[in-house]
Amino acid sequence: MTAPVDRLPPRPPPGRFAIGSAIGAAVLTVLTANAVDFSLTGLVTDLTRPNSVIDGLLSPDWTQIWSRRSRSAFIETLQLAVLGTTGGAIVALVLALYATDYGAPNRTVKYVLRLVNAVIRSLPDLLWALLFVSAVGVGALSGLLALFFFSIAVISKLTADTLDGLDRAPIEAAVASGATTTEMLRTAVLPQILPSYVSFVLYGFEINLRASAVIGLVGAGGIGERIQFFQGRGEWDKLWGLVILFFLVVFVVERVSIFLRRRLV
Amino acid sequence: MTAVSPSPTAADRLPTPPREWWRYVSWGVLLGVFAWSAWGLDARWERLLDAPADLWNLGRVMFSDMAFDRTGDLLADMWESIAIAWLGTIIAGVFALPLSFLAAENLAGTVTTFVVRQVLNILRAVPEVILAIAFIPLLGLTPMAGVMAIAIGSIGTLGKLFSEVIEAISPDPVEAVDAVGGSRLQRLRWGVVPQVLPEIASFLLYRFEINVRASAVLGVIGAGGIGGTLAQSLRFDQFEVAGLGLIIVVLATIAVDLTSGVIRRRILRGPST
Repeated sequence: MTAPVDRLPPRPPPGRFAIGSAIGAAVLTVLTANAVDFSLTGLVTDLTRPNSVIDGLLSPDWTQIWSRRSRSAFIETLQLAVLGTTGGAIVALVLALYATDYGAPNRTVKYVLRLVNAVIRSLPDLLWALLFVSAVGVGALSGLLALFFFSIAVISKLTADTLDGLDRAPIEAAVASGATTTEMLRTAVLPQILPSYVSFVLYGFEINLRASAVIGLVGAGGIGERIQFFQGRGEWDKLWGLVILFFLVVFVVERVSIFLRRRLV
Repeated sequence: MTAVSPSPTAADRLPTPPREWWRYVSWGVLLGVFAWSAWGLDARWERLLDAPADLWNLGRVMFSDMAFDRTGDLLADMWESIAIAWLGTIIAGVFALPLSFLAAENLAGTVTTFVVRQVLNILRAVPEVILAIAFIPLLGLTPMAGVMAIAIGSIGTLGKLFSEVIEAISPDPVEAVDAVGGSRLQRLRWGVVPQVLPEIASFLLYRFEINVRASAVLGVIGAGGIGGTLAQSLRFDQFEVAGLGLIIVVLATIAVDLTSGVIRRRILRGPST
């Protein structure tokens, strides 16, 4: 007869990495809470007292979209997103193609292009807008340039990843039959990546549409300028009405774009 | 026997290419939209030609003579941005975890899943900057407005990612907890959480990387962090400060990405790699 097991086996202690990262995360949380003067009670009192922001959100004013200025800002936002994405998509494709092992004419070009890509990627949308407003002045042109660079960042990254996982056989075939680099890229590489590339462009358009709503806050055109205007006057019902309508449009565009992307890939 | 005259069969001819009308239609629509945008946008196109020169000038004044005596201030601002991002991510995680249990099809009912998912979708759609604009009147021009904007803005994405992880778990441990009579809470604690914890931790870190970028710009509209200093210095033509600030943002972002990437790989792959 075997003795009944009356005790559970001892639980293995947590590993050094688990303990270390738990302590690290806790310390970081305390330090950062200190840095921003976090206080839960203050937060609760600030957020629960009656305020026009929440009131406006609960009863938004939809009529803004019929006012001439809001409507033209709305349209300007859409146009900025379209133009910025188109321009950025073309440049991003070229940058990504010539930064690959097989597409770059020589190593210097490859590394320079990769560096350019990395620097462009490290800046967020609003910082691009801020820079261009300083460089070329307030208005839609700086917004367009900001979205142009921002699209390059998004699309070239995704395209470069696809290019890395490419089937090399057609490239070899093209080179063996005497194609120049550009001919090789057009006949052996482009047909392979085209469906994913188009889907990245659509994705970039979705992101740009969202970004184009905020770049106006620093004076780069589009609906953000109206948002800032209503914020300054404290007209939260109008602000929320405009924001909600805008994101309804974004939502519809996103659905259409997801549908198209599914068909393509 | 009469020779069968070789009548042309379908196989002899090349197949007619399928009529891809939708391709022409989509190109047409695309070109139409593009033309409409290019025509309609009031962008003062003549200035586009000056833009490269303008940009070059801006770069020159920003990076030729940087204000290194301000390095300490700028690093402190960057630390505030990182603090906003971290705290916002933690708060978002606290809310996203229970929501993700409710959004996972293998744990919650169809109606609950549907409702919670729509809430997450709405939260995901709004940019942090818009949220910050809404929080500034409530919390003042303080880093807390940034923290809350980042937190609310991250709940949607984190909740969605977490719920996808939860839906991919093995049902066996959950069944085992049920078999020994565990309560619903015990079922989550012992059946679900141990399976998803590594991936959830990794997604939190990933979101932290994204949030560092987001919080670096929130200051532009007054929600704390280095963005405020950058915006001020550009507005008042202190380009030597702006240039150094920009470099600090880029370097700090890359440093956070690298560190967090190493930790994430260690979490997902385990110790022996």
